Amino acid sequence: MASEKPKLEALEEEYLKIDKLPRLTKAVENVDKIIELLSAARDQVAAAPESHTAITITKLQNPVKTAFEAVNDGLKGAAAAHKKMGKALDKSFPLKPLPTDHDAMADHVPLINRAVAMHLLREGQFSVASTFISEVQSASKSEESADLNEPMGEGDDDGDEGMNADDAASTTSSENYDLSSFHSQELQQSFAEMYNVLQELKVKNLVPAIKWARKNAVELEARGSNLEFELSRLQFVWLFKGPSFNGLPDDENNGHSGALRYARSNFARFQDRHLKEINRLACSMAFAPNIAASPYKQLFAIDSAFSDVASSFTREFCSLLGLSAESPLYLAATAGALALPQLMKYTQKTLAKGTEWTTANEMAFETPLPESMLYHSIFVCPVSKEQTTDANPPMVIPCGHVLAKETLRKLCKGPRFKCPYCPSEGIIQDARQIIL
Amino acid sequence: MADHGAAKINHDNHLLLDQPLLRLPYELLRKNIRSAHYHIEWDTNAVKDLLKETATNSINQKATKEDVVNNLDQMLARMRGLKRKLSTYAEEENRLYRQSTARVAHLRELSDIHTVEDVKYETWSRQRLDRLIVDYMLRHGFNESADALAKDRNMLELVDIDTFVTMSKIRQSLENGSVQEALAWCNENKKELRKMQSNLEFELRCQQYIELNRSSSSTRLLDAIAHARKHIIPFSNTYPTEVSHIAGLLAYRPDTPYEPYASLYSTGRWKMLADLFTDAHHKLLGLPQFPLLHIALSSGLSALKTPACHSSQQNQSHQGQKPHKSSTPGPGKEESPEPRSHGTASLQTSVCPICSTELNALAKNVPYAHHSKSHLLEHDLMLLPNGRVYGRVQLDEYAQKSRLGQGEVKDLVTGERFREAELKKVFIT
Repeated sequence: MASEKPKLEALEEEYLKIDKLPRLTKAVENVDKIIELLSAARDQVAAAPESHTAITITKLQNPVKTAFEAVNDGLKGAAAAHKKMGKALDKSFPLKPLPTDHDAMADHVPLINRAVAMHLLREGQFSVASTFISEVQSASKSEESADLNEPMGEGDDDGDEGMNADDAASTTSSENYDLSSFHSQELQQSFAEMYNVLQELKVKNLVPAIKWARKNAVELEARGSNLEFELSRLQFVWLFKGPSFNGLPDDENNGHSGALRYARSNFARFQDRHLKEINRLACSMAFAPNIAASPYKQLFAIDSAFSDVASSFTREFCSLLGLSAESPLYLAATAGALALPQLMKYTQKTLAKGTEWTTANEMAFETPLPESMLYHSIFVCPVSKEQTTDANPPMVIPCGHVLAKETLRKLCKGPRFKCPYCPSEGIIQDARQIIL
Repeated sequence: MADHGAAKINHDNHLLLDQPLLRLPYELLRKNIRSAHYHIEWDTNAVKDLLKETATNSINQKATKEDVVNNLDQMLARMRGLKRKLSTYAEEENRLYRQSTARVAHLRELSDIHTVEDVKYETWSRQRLDRLIVDYMLRHGFNESADALAKDRNMLELVDIDTFVTMSKIRQSLENGSVQEALAWCNENKKELRKMQSNLEFELRCQQYIELNRSSSSTRLLDAIAHARKHIIPFSNTYPTEVSHIAGLLAYRPDTPYEPYASLYSTGRWKMLADLFTDAHHKLLGLPQFPLLHIALSSGLSALKTPACHSSQQNQSHQGQKPHKSSTPGPGKEESPEPRSHGTASLQTSVCPICSTELNALAKNVPYAHHSKSHLLEHDLMLLPNGRVYGRVQLDEYAQKSRLGQGEVKDLVTGERFREAELKKVFIT
């Protein structure tokens, strides 16, 4: 990989070159020429006396022949351009067959449909989402009626044949998750609300966001979220900056006096949690004429403040719905693209060896993901090198070291064991399961 | 496993899912040129021959002036026809080139992006997801949604709506019990199908025969025999058993309980034919057999999944830094005996995508990611008397936010309060 002329760039250049080559249009032009020749000859024959016919026709032969050759050249040109494209593709974008022998997702189309629908709603694509939902529903209806008509479905990838009871159960349970059972209307309303608020934040209007935060204050506080205060503080600063900065009407509700008014009527509710910050905001009033040179200037630097509150608002909003802030479908697809090379390498190797992927619960290979895509702590037992699970949970032993339960069981001689990491010994009864 | 190398984009391997993006227009171009070639050959030969003949006849004085004019008119009509057809092919070719250039430009954007953390990557990756979703919709026949999404995202050049719409029309006609459209398609792609050793045409011909047999009128049965002679017997070397079953079918009525005749009469065959067609279609154009989104998801869900995502102690598995909140409005989740638990304490938290409602049930069926090293989101771990472990920083932060007294901490998940003296240090090796 030393030749770091990026392949994609090379490919693009090549494509642009190919785009300029003559193609079928050339052939069309020459067909036109033939038509001209023929119709000119026809007119000539029709107009001239009978004796001239043979000459006209004979004269026609050669030009038509060359024109036909040109048509063929046009075709050849198109084929050559196409061939070049193929070569460029093979060189800079060589085909790597995707793992297509087994579609693990085929049985779960209803669930994927639901995920797609939720993704569309979350992205604010309400009209696409509703088209999608209605198309899915009409399709599943027609499928149901088709199923009734034909008792013996030979469907290959529907997986509705040769299934054991277990699979059947999981399929029916997943079918409960079809689109009618997830309350798309409700969800749509929620996301519509979120979009309104975000839209307003974009035009620097904090009021709807503050309203929402106040409505959900109890929940937010229980989450330890400061969102409402952050928003209110920003509102204070925003008003403080005055009409020349925020473009709001120049009245008693704006500018320094507006900020003060706002603080008086709103900050009381934050007093016990954020007294310090409120004090600082209040003190800054004294420096009002020249904030930039005051010790409070940082409070008033709000360049990124709006986008910051927008993202914490999105996060809190989704969390209260039990949803992750970033679209899971987006994360999963991105993680999928990142992990796919490993999967393909693995399938190639196992294919070559003739072994099968036998681990049912755990992947057989590592799929490194960036830090930002890790959401849970992972504990791998330092002795057995296994990840802890519900069945094999992490245990803390009296010296504070953590081992997997299985490991501990194997370490035991009678009820006693020795810590593999420090000299201390313990008894099995003293080990405690922990939740990481 | 997290390492900083993981955020780097390996350009050689990052576009596996995007191969059809360039391969499909390439294949379509091939097909387009081939069709153009066929028509050029056919029409030019006819015109050339006629012109030569006219010339010879006119020199030998066998043709009158009227004959010559007539012949020239014929040639003109042919050439005009050719021009019409060829223009469509030329237009299609231009469209495909335009599409290819746009697609290469889209892929090329990636070569300026070197890490996943780059903001530009998110934009790019989102567009990829949109492409994958459109592909998914098209493959499941949700054509209107696909069209709406592609238009909304202004990416018509990046998706293959036309190809799939044409395909789904043929597929639908099969599902509705008509083989004509599919046979026409077979005819268009005869050579390639033969190369692929596809049995599609054979099965379609059999279906025609089966339908003729379905009727009880004797003329239809004679038709069936004639049909079999013409279209099915030629396959008898390739598919000897099938052909013999087909021959035997004459002796059985549609309500026969005997196999294999009962399944030959089954209406389920139409769905089989539709699938067979889809299969051949995708293979011919070098398209993966199932939606790219399926591939992305099965690899992505596993990579993200941890044992904690489907832990039976749902609430218990969440942890301070990036916990899953259990107050999901989903069914059956509110019944936990605890008071509504609040999964998180610090502001910088977000729900794990696998734990989130969208994907949770879907991810149930995939294996979780393999890790060979512990990866902890928090440091300085402290054990609470209830068995939960949190980072020192997170506990302090939460205590402060909850306005606890000195020397007190609060469980970030359950909300229980403890005295600091009850905490114990935990070492993860």
